[in-house]
Amino acid sequence: MDKKTVSTIAYLSRLSLNEENEDKITEDLKNIIKFVDQLDGADTNNIEPLANPLEKTAKTRTDNVTAKNRKEVFLERSPKSNEDYFLVPRVVE
Amino acid sequence: MSIQYKSIKELKNMLNDKDISHTELVQETFLNIKNNSALNAFITLNEEESLKKANNLDNTPSSGSLAGVPIAQKDLFCTKDLKTTCGSNMLSNFIPPYSATVIENLENAGCISVGKTNMDEFAMGSSNETSFYGNVQNPWGKNLVPGGSSGGSAAAVAAGIVPAASGTDTGGSIRQPASLCGISGLKPTYGRVSRWGMIAFASSLDQAGPMARTAEDCALLLNEMCSHDEKDTTSIDEAIPDFTENLNSSIQGLKIGLVKEFDLSKLDNDVVQVFEESKKHYESLGAEFIEISLPNISLSVPTYYVVAPAECSSNLSRFDGVKFGKRCDSPKDLEELYIKTRSEGFGDEVKRRILIGSYVLSAGFYDAYYKKAQQVRRLIKNDFDSAFKSVDIIMSPTTRGAAFEAGSKGDDPIQMYLEDLFTIPANLAGLPAMSIPNGMIDNKPIGLQLIGNFLDESRLLQAAHNFQISSDWHLKTPSGNKS
Repeated sequence: MDKKTVSTIAYLSRLSLNEENEDKITEDLKNIIKFVDQLDGADTNNIEPLANPLEKTAKTRTDNVTAKNRKEVFLERSPKSNEDYFLVPRVVE
Repeated sequence: MSIQYKSIKELKNMLNDKDISHTELVQETFLNIKNNSALNAFITLNEEESLKKANNLDNTPSSGSLAGVPIAQKDLFCTKDLKTTCGSNMLSNFIPPYSATVIENLENAGCISVGKTNMDEFAMGSSNETSFYGNVQNPWGKNLVPGGSSGGSAAAVAAGIVPAASGTDTGGSIRQPASLCGISGLKPTYGRVSRWGMIAFASSLDQAGPMARTAEDCALLLNEMCSHDEKDTTSIDEAIPDFTENLNSSIQGLKIGLVKEFDLSKLDNDVVQVFEESKKHYESLGAEFIEISLPNISLSVPTYYVVAPAECSSNLSRFDGVKFGKRCDSPKDLEELYIKTRSEGFGDEVKRRILIGSYVLSAGFYDAYYKKAQQVRRLIKNDFDSAFKSVDIIMSPTTRGAAFEAGSKGDDPIQMYLEDLFTIPANLAGLPAMSIPNGMIDNKPIGLQLIGNFLDESRLLQAAHNFQISSDWHLKTPSGNKS
């Protein structure tokens, strides 16, 4: 974990870190990763990963209409929209 | 007649006996909220709507089991047409178009949601210091933190403003603040309460639950909070018992497990002494203690700090400034819109966790961290499965100590993470667990944690209620203690 890795994962996370807290964050992450490295000591040979305490897989249901189209309700909560779409800066010139 | 510090049960009796009207109760509640505004326990109030509901109840009595009971809702639950911030700048303008299932359930039972409580940003914190809306003060002392992340909910109940609050618990966020504020709080079995409409932090760990003055009140609330919900694929489809049914049954012969690996000698003497006294108390009620071993328990916190950030980085990718919430000013292109919005909208702790999550999930590290943590998670769950073959519940302190001062954990995030040492294992294993007040240290309350077997909330509540009808720690209030 160094500044270069931190800037890569920051970009992957779509976050920008300013110069002054970059050092602090790098140091914090270094310590946290060192802390979780304790896991190396556990013998996990042939142990299936546990993703969810219920070990359930997603259930399927009949494909019935359960909700009404509430387009206006959702669009009006957007920072920027017209009557049909969410608006963002132009992507294709 | 004062309503401060009254339990749900007491308020219900007052309403039934017409000692107070629904409207008076709500008016009095808002007066108490305003008199305690220094606590900063609430982010948004719902006064007009609350008074309207109370007035309706005065005119048309309701048969709902919690009709007219004022409740404070953690600001993590979506509430239709009522601002929901999750303690973040990112959602400072978010008005949900629907309510969480838990909110609907409680309101259908007659609860009046008086406001939304302050919390650590996106529930990431153990002291309420990460909220965009400022620290919450613990009613037990001016500079003391209330714990977190459900700190506003805990403070509102502890100050006697409301008899009940909702909370959520991903690694201890109900139990730790309950302990530090001297109230009762229960994290149900994973899947017992619907997560639909809860703003997700770590989906395989998050669970909503009740916070109240007594275990009995927690049972009344849990009765209404639980439901099988088609809209949450991890919602359990099992019979929901009446959680009040066994409260008064004796706990003679109850087998309580003490975890060998929880090294209490590292805790302050006062904490150990309080715990030992609770053991004696349970012995006097007929319980017996059995030492159990959870060999992998010491890896709980490191496991959690891989699993939770990984799920957080994935869940929080939805906050991109496009469909709802905040958007930065005049972005030059779409990428800048994402980056600037997220960098301005999230606070430092949230960013830190997103970064850890992105790291442990990134190519090349996935197996070493995320998969490894999930394997250790299974070992921890297996340890609990074996332990519950010989005991009914497991008991430990909830926290390493009583409430600490704001700012005292310094800049080191790991010190804050260790705050949840005793509470995290139950989340990893999906087990129900609760905290009840069991002593005072330097005039500050502290809690006892009870962990139950899968779906065995009734037994936890029974054990907690038996303790409370034979002790008075849960009746202590911070009145006159405000230094």
